[in-house]
Amino acid sequence: MFETHEKQLEELLAHPSVWRGRSRATVETFPTGFAALDAGLPGGGWPRHGLIEILTPQPGAGELYLLLPALAALSQLTPARWCTWICPPHEPFTPALAAHGVALDRMLIVRTHLPVWAQEQALRSGACEVAMAWLPRASPRAIRRLQLAAEQGRALGVLYRSRAFASEPSPAMLRVLLEPMVDAGRHGARVSLLKSRGGSREPIELQWAAAAA
Amino acid sequence: MSVGGRMHPRSYRLIFPEPATSSPGSSATPSVLRVRPASPPPKGPDSQAELKLPPRELWIAAHVPQLPLLAIATAESGAVTSSAPLVVVDTGDRNPRIIDADANAQAAGVCIGMTLGAAFALVPHLDARPRDAARELVLMRRLAGIAATFTPQVSIEAPDGLLLEIKSSVTLFGGLRQLCRQLRDACHADPVFAQVQAQPRFTLAPTALAALAAARAGARCFITDAGVLPARLKPLPLATLRWPEEDNVRLLGMGVRTLGELMRLPRAGFAKRFGVARLADLDRLLGRRADPRHRLVRHERYRGGVDLDHEIEDHERILTALRPLLDELEQFLRTRQRGITALQCRFHHYRAAPTSCTLRLASPEANAQRLQSLLRERLANLVLPEPVRRCELRGGALSERPLGSSSLWPAGERGHAPAGEMPALIEHLRARLGVDAVYGLRRVSEHRPENAQARAEPVLALAQTTRTRHAKAAADTPLPAPFRRPLWLLHTPREIDSQRGRPRHGGALQLLAGPERIESGWWDGADVQRDYYIASDPKGSRLWIYRQCTGTRKWFLHGIFG
Repeated sequence: MFETHEKQLEELLAHPSVWRGRSRATVETFPTGFAALDAGLPGGGWPRHGLIEILTPQPGAGELYLLLPALAALSQLTPARWCTWICPPHEPFTPALAAHGVALDRMLIVRTHLPVWAQEQALRSGACEVAMAWLPRASPRAIRRLQLAAEQGRALGVLYRSRAFASEPSPAMLRVLLEPMVDAGRHGARVSLLKSRGGSREPIELQWAAAAA
Repeated sequence: MSVGGRMHPRSYRLIFPEPATSSPGSSATPSVLRVRPASPPPKGPDSQAELKLPPRELWIAAHVPQLPLLAIATAESGAVTSSAPLVVVDTGDRNPRIIDADANAQAAGVCIGMTLGAAFALVPHLDARPRDAARELVLMRRLAGIAATFTPQVSIEAPDGLLLEIKSSVTLFGGLRQLCRQLRDACHADPVFAQVQAQPRFTLAPTALAALAAARAGARCFITDAGVLPARLKPLPLATLRWPEEDNVRLLGMGVRTLGELMRLPRAGFAKRFGVARLADLDRLLGRRADPRHRLVRHERYRGGVDLDHEIEDHERILTALRPLLDELEQFLRTRQRGITALQCRFHHYRAAPTSCTLRLASPEANAQRLQSLLRERLANLVLPEPVRRCELRGGALSERPLGSSSLWPAGERGHAPAGEMPALIEHLRARLGVDAVYGLRRVSEHRPENAQARAEPVLALAQTTRTRHAKAAADTPLPAPFRRPLWLLHTPREIDSQRGRPRHGGALQLLAGPERIESGWWDGADVQRDYYIASDPKGSRLWIYRQCTGTRKWFLHGIFG
């Protein structure tokens, strides 16, 4: 009798929307493509839907390499949903994307002065697997809206922001600070989880790949 | 009206072929119980037709009597007030002949086919009008438009006949009689035909020509049984076939005045004297030969407008005022199983010129709710010079809308095919941000980095079967090694400083790999000779830089890794 109650309680607490302080939340995830990062992230990968923030000191710090294996895997699914890029800082270079295994016909670029609105539409529509936005600034209220839209459309929202916003509070479910390795011999970055539901507290060092010499 | 006429007793047997004695409760449908006449079917050349059960086709013919007069009357908005006898004359001939005459003229002795001179000799104060063939066609097209709501297979039988194949629509409209009644009521309710009190005559027969012939003769005809067709056609006059005048005259000379007498003629002799084409006509009339018709393709557009009670400036209230029009548009599109890809809105003001905005859609759309939400985005960008007094909607050309069932899964659920959401998202974004703001990516088979990629229209079809030549060439181009090319490319290469031949960008750059020479494009004026290097800046970013091989040998930043 007592055991069945305990079991019921366990089942209740195992619900994805319940997060208990120290335990790792059970979120639906998919692998990042980096074994070290998978081990450190709650659930063992990027969340399947929700909003994450990637903070970098400058554009070009490796923020795209961090997500590229996941993008390639998601764009190769059948039927694949779309991947939307909102206000990327430069043009994505298609031969390099294709070389990393990204299916180009699932990519959609949006250039706009309303990035938050566009990302909310993309996330909410249910047509996108990932919607990435490069936001100069966004209020916590807007980020909260994006988080809700991502959950509604079952999409992964990615916000690329400057490291300067690291001290600001954010409703995103996962915040990642990415710093490139200054050591020229190694092409990689150090990833620290600023906010996560039970992820690693130590910085994780990632190697992209050896640059062709 | 012949449509509402009494049915032939045997016709029902063909629609309900089961024997009536199978169940005792079948007495509820007495028409099924009708027993076939005891007499054996008549033997004759048409006895083969008896075996075709049930008929493969059912045709309704509509004949507009006195169409030339109607055309004149409707062109003058029904106000043919002159009491003089009115005739319509075919002016195409050198010797004008009368093709239609009103009751006054006919009472005075004018008959159809008479020359104009002879008619004037009879009635000096005759009002003769030239034939308005264009107007006649407009009237027939109008009638065809009404008929097209009942079946897609509608064709105009020039000049004054209309044919509808309705076999496949019978169940949808709740039976043959229901369908015929609705069709008749729809034609009578049409304002143009009601205004001149013109009533098309309808007939039903298993072959198109038989229905037409009966309609022209003004005969009551509601036949669903190919077997009784010859017997029912027998009394119709020969002229209902509209054969050339010389054939009719020859046949009259042979003593053939009705279709029954025509059917009795021996086939071989008939073909020899009148040609195989006439014999084929006869076979089509009796259903011995297929009679396919070109279906009328209508190029329709939706037009609608609403005058507002008072001037409105608020976008949301304009949208509310547009909603009835959008609902009407949806109804218009749904009955045609079509969608539109362009929609124009015009707003009329008191003094200023009308403002118009056009909505373009990625895929054919018929849903009023979706169109309204797109219009909301579009209107948000629209600046109105003055308050709006009148709104108009004009739909673009109709296009085929793939009919699909709505999805079981909510959007984004696993297992859900994302077919419908993507066009909707693209339209939504484009309605607010403009068409150029949303695009896809494409590879181009090129060595110059700035030409190796291009913007493309997003590919909406999930399985792309036909690939363009360029896409194929790009797909065949070998890919660069993954980390040899940057993920970001600058729109235009940015010049960077150099110090003693070493590039600087926020500090001295460390060259990691290179040079890789790219030299191409001498043929199209955009000649490129560059040595590319992969460099690392002091902050740890990897850059793709190049040095011009000729001229000033300056350094440029062209791409950023990651």
